[in-house]
Amino acid sequence: MGLPAGTGVGVRSIWLGLLFASLVGHAGAAQGYLVVVSGLGGDQVHRVRFHDWAVTLLDAARDRLGVPESHTVYLAERPERDPERIDAESTRENVAAELTRLAGEAEPDASVFILLIGHGSYQGDESQFSLPGPDMSAEDFAVLLDRFETQQVAFVNTASASGDFVAVLSGPGRTIVTATKSAFERNETMFCEHFVRAFAEDGADVDKDDMVSLLEAFNYARREVERVYERESRLLTEHAVLDDNGDGEGSVDPDPSAGDGALAQRLFLGLAPGALVATAADDSVLVGLYRRRQELQNGIADLRSRKEAMDPTTYERELELLLVELAQTAQAIREREGGGDGDCD
Amino acid sequence: MTRRLWIAVIAELAGLAAAAPRSAAAAQQIVEAQTALRSGRYESAITQFSRLVEREPSSVSVARGLVRALSEIGRYQDAVEVAQEFGRRNHGSVELATSLGEVLFSTGRVQEAERAFRSAFTASDSLTARFNLAVLQYSRGEVDAAMSEFDRFIDYYNRNRGLSSEHLTLVAAAVRYLGVGDEQLYKDALLAYDEAISADPSNLEPRVQVADLFLQKYVGPEALAGFEAVLELNPNHPDALLGLARTRRFNGMPDVMEPVRRSLEVNGNLVAARVFLASLYLESEDYAGAAAEIDRALAVNPASLEALAVKAAMRFLQLDQGGFDETVRQVLSHNPRYGELYNTLAEVSARNRLYEQAADFAARAIELDPQSWRGYALLGINQLRNGLMREGRANLERAFAGDPYDVWTKNTLDLLDMLERYALVSSERFEFVIDRKESDLLALYLTGLGDEAYQRLHQRYGHLPETPIRVEVFPSHADFSVRTVGLVGLGALGVSFGPVVAMDSPSAREPGEFNWGSTLWHELAHTFHMSMSDHRVPRWFTEGLAVLEERHAKPGWGVGVSPAFLAAYRQGRLLPVSQLNDGFLRPSYPEQLGFSYYQASLVCELIEQEHGSDALVRMLRGYGQGRSTAELFTTVLGVDVERFDDTFDQYLADRFAGPLRAISVAEGEGASPHASRDEVAQRARSHPGDFIAQLAMGQILVEEGRGNEAISYLERAKALFPEYAEADSPYWYLAQVYQVQGELERAESELTALTMHNERHYPAYTKLAELREMLGDTAGAAAALEGALFVYPMGAEVHLKLAELYTGLEKWQGAIRERRAVLALDPVDRAEALYQLAKVHYDSGDMSEARRVVLQALERAPNFEQAQMLLLAIHSRNEEAQR
Repeated sequence: MGLPAGTGVGVRSIWLGLLFASLVGHAGAAQGYLVVVSGLGGDQVHRVRFHDWAVTLLDAARDRLGVPESHTVYLAERPERDPERIDAESTRENVAAELTRLAGEAEPDASVFILLIGHGSYQGDESQFSLPGPDMSAEDFAVLLDRFETQQVAFVNTASASGDFVAVLSGPGRTIVTATKSAFERNETMFCEHFVRAFAEDGADVDKDDMVSLLEAFNYARREVERVYERESRLLTEHAVLDDNGDGEGSVDPDPSAGDGALAQRLFLGLAPGALVATAADDSVLVGLYRRRQELQNGIADLRSRKEAMDPTTYERELELLLVELAQTAQAIREREGGGDGDCD
Repeated sequence: MTRRLWIAVIAELAGLAAAAPRSAAAAQQIVEAQTALRSGRYESAITQFSRLVEREPSSVSVARGLVRALSEIGRYQDAVEVAQEFGRRNHGSVELATSLGEVLFSTGRVQEAERAFRSAFTASDSLTARFNLAVLQYSRGEVDAAMSEFDRFIDYYNRNRGLSSEHLTLVAAAVRYLGVGDEQLYKDALLAYDEAISADPSNLEPRVQVADLFLQKYVGPEALAGFEAVLELNPNHPDALLGLARTRRFNGMPDVMEPVRRSLEVNGNLVAARVFLASLYLESEDYAGAAAEIDRALAVNPASLEALAVKAAMRFLQLDQGGFDETVRQVLSHNPRYGELYNTLAEVSARNRLYEQAADFAARAIELDPQSWRGYALLGINQLRNGLMREGRANLERAFAGDPYDVWTKNTLDLLDMLERYALVSSERFEFVIDRKESDLLALYLTGLGDEAYQRLHQRYGHLPETPIRVEVFPSHADFSVRTVGLVGLGALGVSFGPVVAMDSPSAREPGEFNWGSTLWHELAHTFHMSMSDHRVPRWFTEGLAVLEERHAKPGWGVGVSPAFLAAYRQGRLLPVSQLNDGFLRPSYPEQLGFSYYQASLVCELIEQEHGSDALVRMLRGYGQGRSTAELFTTVLGVDVERFDDTFDQYLADRFAGPLRAISVAEGEGASPHASRDEVAQRARSHPGDFIAQLAMGQILVEEGRGNEAISYLERAKALFPEYAEADSPYWYLAQVYQVQGELERAESELTALTMHNERHYPAYTKLAELREMLGDTAGAAAALEGALFVYPMGAEVHLKLAELYTGLEKWQGAIRERRAVLALDPVDRAEALYQLAKVHYDSGDMSEARRVVLQALERAPNFEQAQMLLLAIHSRNEEAQR
C-alpha cells in the first residue's frame, strides 16, 4: 500500500492496526492481538479498579494505537457490568477457550499480548492467579502458551505473588513480565496501574520514537511504582521483573545489551517504528532516506554497544557524526513528506 | 561503684534468719523488718531492726539488717557504730566485718575497709568479703589482683549448683568487671543476673545492676524499664532513683532532676547522686551549684574518684589550670590507673561542645588504661566530630573489638560504612557528603547556600572559621540521629560540631516539616560561634543567635512566635535569662525546648537592637576567654543579668502587647474547643478582640463557602495577631477567598505576608508563585518558588516551573540549575530532560555545553526530533562562528 506524499500525520492512522509489530522494516506483515483477563476482585473497590485499568488499556489500544476491536478479547469477573466491552466471564474455562481459539486463528507471525489484572496467591508450592471459580497456576498457563507455536507471546501478570510465573513460562519468543520477583511478595501491587498508563498517557516513550515498546512500558511502570513507595516512605514490597531471553530468570532492571530486554525493546502495542518504510514504497527517494535512516540507527545502536570498550572522545566524535547525519536524514524525510523544517523549540 | 559492695547483705540476712533458732514471733518480726527494708520503708526497718538488736544482740542477721537499713539512708556513722558494737558485744566476732568494711569503703576510709574485709575471710559471708576486697583493689588501680579475684567467681559458679540469688548477683558483678577483657562475659553477666532474679524475684539488687549494665551499654529503653520496675517494688530505692535520672538524661527525656532529688531525700549522703547532680550543674554552667554538690560528695567520701573527676572537669571548664592539675593529682594518687578520670573529662568536654579537648582527654584515658574501650569510643566519636574520619573510624573499631555491646560504637561504625558510599561534593569552603541518590540534586542548592551563608556570617562576625567545613546530609533521620548522639530518636534537624555539620536531608521528613535552608544556615552560624568562642559559647546563646541569623538570612526564615509561647509567657513559664540554658539542657516540660529557642533568639535580638551587633560579637569572644554569661552581661552590656530579665520582660510585653491581649481574651473566658458553630459565631460577634474566636469563625465561613462573610473575621484575627502564620492562619484563608473573588493582588499580598512569617508553608510558596505569574510578575513568581525549594526540593513540578520562569526572564544560570535539578530527579523521560537542559545552554549562548548535553539526549533517543533539530542548530551556529 502506498501513500500520497505530504500526508504527514495521517500516515500513522493508516498503520495503527498493527500490534506488536517487530522492528524489522516490514512491520506490515505482523498482526497483533490483545487479551485482557481481569480476575476475581474480592470486593467492589477492586472490581471497579480492575475494570478501569482494563478499559483504560483497551481504549488506548483502540484510540491511541489503532488496534482493531476484533483483535482484542476482554474477560472479566462480571460481564454484566459492561456487556459491550466484556466478552465473557474470566473463568478458567473461558481463558483456556479464548487462548486456544487465538492460537488457532492468529497468523503464524502474529504477536499475542496477554495481560492478567487481579490478585495472586501462593498456595502449596505454586502461585495462582485468582479467577471466578478455579484459579489458574503458571503450569495451567504454560499448557495454553505452548499452543502458540510460532507466534510471539507477551505474558504480563500484574498480580501479587506472580514472580513464580517467570520460571515456568519463560521460553524462546516469549516475554514474561510479573509484578513481583517471587511468590513471597504477596502485598497488593500497583504495577498494573502504571503499566497501563505507559500506553494510555505520554511519558513512557523515552527514546522518542513516538511508540511505547514493552520494555519502555515495563521500565516506566517499575520506576513509577518505586517513586510512589519512596514518596510515601514505604518499604518497596513489589519488584517487577521481565524475562525475554528464555533463561527463566527475570530482570528487575533489564539491559537489552546484556541479558533481558532485547525482545521487549522491539515489541510495540501499536505501530512499530520502521513500519513507515513500507509507506514510501512508491517514492524511491523517500525509500532511500528511510533506508539510510535505518542504517544510521543501526550504526548508533552498534556504536552504543561498543561504548564501554571505546575511548570516550572517540566515542563521542563518532556518535556525533552519526547523530548529525541521522538528524539531517530525518529532516530530509520530513521535507520530502511535506512536514517542513520545524524548529528546535 | 560503691553500690555493688552492698550486694550480699540481704543474702546473709535471708540465710541466717532462717538458720538462727528463735521463736516464731521473733522470726516474724525479722521478716517484717526485711520486708520494710526491701520495700523502702527504711525508718520502719531501722526501728524494727533496732528493737531486734536490743532483744537479740548476738544475732548476725539482725545486726546486718540494721547496718544495711542505716546505710541505705546515708546514716553511715551510725551503721559503723552498730557494726563495731556487734564485734564488741560478741567477743570480737568478725561476722559484721564485711558490713563494716562496706560502710567504711563508702565513706573513703579505704585502709580500714581493707582490714575489715580481710578479717571477714573467716566469716560466714567470706565470699562477699572477697568480692568487696577485689572491688577495693580495683578502685586503687591494683587491677591484676582484683581481676584475679573476680576470675575465681567464675570457678565458684561453675563448681556449684543452686546458688542463691545473692551469690549469683556477686558472680554477675564479678563477671561484669571481667568483661573488659572478654566482651562475651557481659553476656554471661546478663545471664547470671537473670538467674539471680529468677532465684529470688524480691531481691532488687540484681535488677538494679542489670538496668545499670544496660545503661552502661547504651540500651536506654531496657535500662529505663529496669529501673522503673525496681521502683514499683521499692519507690524509695536510692540507687534505682538515681539510675532512673541517669537513664532519663541519656534518653533525652524531661524530668531528670525529680528522681535524683528524691534519691537524695532518701539518702542525702549518696555520693553518686551528688556527683550526678554536679555534672548536671556543670552542663548548665552553674559552677557554684556544681561545686556545692562536689563538696557535699567529698565530705562524705573524700576519696571518691567519681567526685574528684567531676571536680577536675569543673576546674577545666572554669579555665582554672591550677585547680585542675591539683585535682588530677589527687585522683591519680588514689588510683594511678584511673582512666575514667579522663573519660569523664572527655564526656564533660563533649557535652560542652569542646570536641578537640574531648578527643585529647580520651587519648589520655587510653594511655592510663589500655583496656578503656570507652576511651577508644570517646576518642573515635570526637575525632569524627572534628572531621578526622579515618582516625575516628580506626579508634571506633578498636572500641568495638573490645566491647561490641556498645550500641553507640556499633551504630556509628555502621553509619561510617554507609557514609563511604555517599558522594563527596566539594565547593570553595565546604565538603558536602550526600547520599548518592540525591547528591546531584541537593548539591545544586547546598553549595550555593553554604557559600552564601559563610560569606554573610563572615561579614557579620569578622571571623573566618577554618575550612573546609564538612556537611553531612542524611536522607534517613535515624542515620542523622546516630551521627549526632550514637542512637536513634534525636528530635533535632541538624547539629554542628564546629568543623562538621550533620543534618536531615529534605527527603528525611514530610514536605513542610522543616526548612532545610534555614537549618543549614543555623548550623553554620553555630560553626562560627564555636570557632569564635573556642567552643565555649553556652547553648542558650548560640541557639538564640543562630535563630537570629536565620531571620537575617532570608525573609520569613527562623522560628516565629506562637500562641503557646505567649501563653507560657503570661503564665510565667518562661525561664529568666540567667537560667535559660536549663531550657535547652533540662527542659521541665515538653514545649520548653522550643520556647527556649524562640526566647533566646529574642534575647539576642534585643541585645542587637540596644547594644548593636558588635555586642554579640564581643560576647562570643568573651565566652572564649572563659567568662560567664553574668560577667558578660555586666562587662559588655553594662547591666547585670537579673536587671536584664526585667528589661526583657518589658520588651516582650511591649512587642507582643496586641497578641497578648487577643490571646488573653480567649484564655480568660475560655472559648471551648468543642463549641458549636452557633457558640463560635456568638463569641466572635460578642468578643471582637478574641483572636481564637475570630479565626475560628472565619475558618468556618470559608469552609461553608461563604468567603465574603469570612473576610471581616479573618481580617480582624490578622490585625489582632499579625505574626500568627501557621497552616490555619488568617493569611491562608484570606488568600483563598480573595482569589476566588478574583482579587488576585490582595490574595498575593496575603500570601506574601504569610511567607514573611512562616518558612515552611510549601503550598503558600507555590500558590504565591502561581498568583504572581498570573499578575505578570515573573521574577516574583520565581522568587516564591525559590522559597518553596528551601522547604522541599524533591518534587519535579517546581523545578520545571522555575526553569520555565527563569527561561522567560533570560536568567540562564537559574534556568540551567533548574533543568539540572529535573535531571537529578531521574525522570523516566530522561531524553526530554536532557534536551531541555541543552536548549537552555543553547539559548544562553553556551554552544559547547549545549552540544555535549544534546548528544546525551540523542544517545538515548536517536530519533528525538526536537533534539535532532537542536543538534543541527548548534552545528549551524558553530559553523557560522567559524566563518
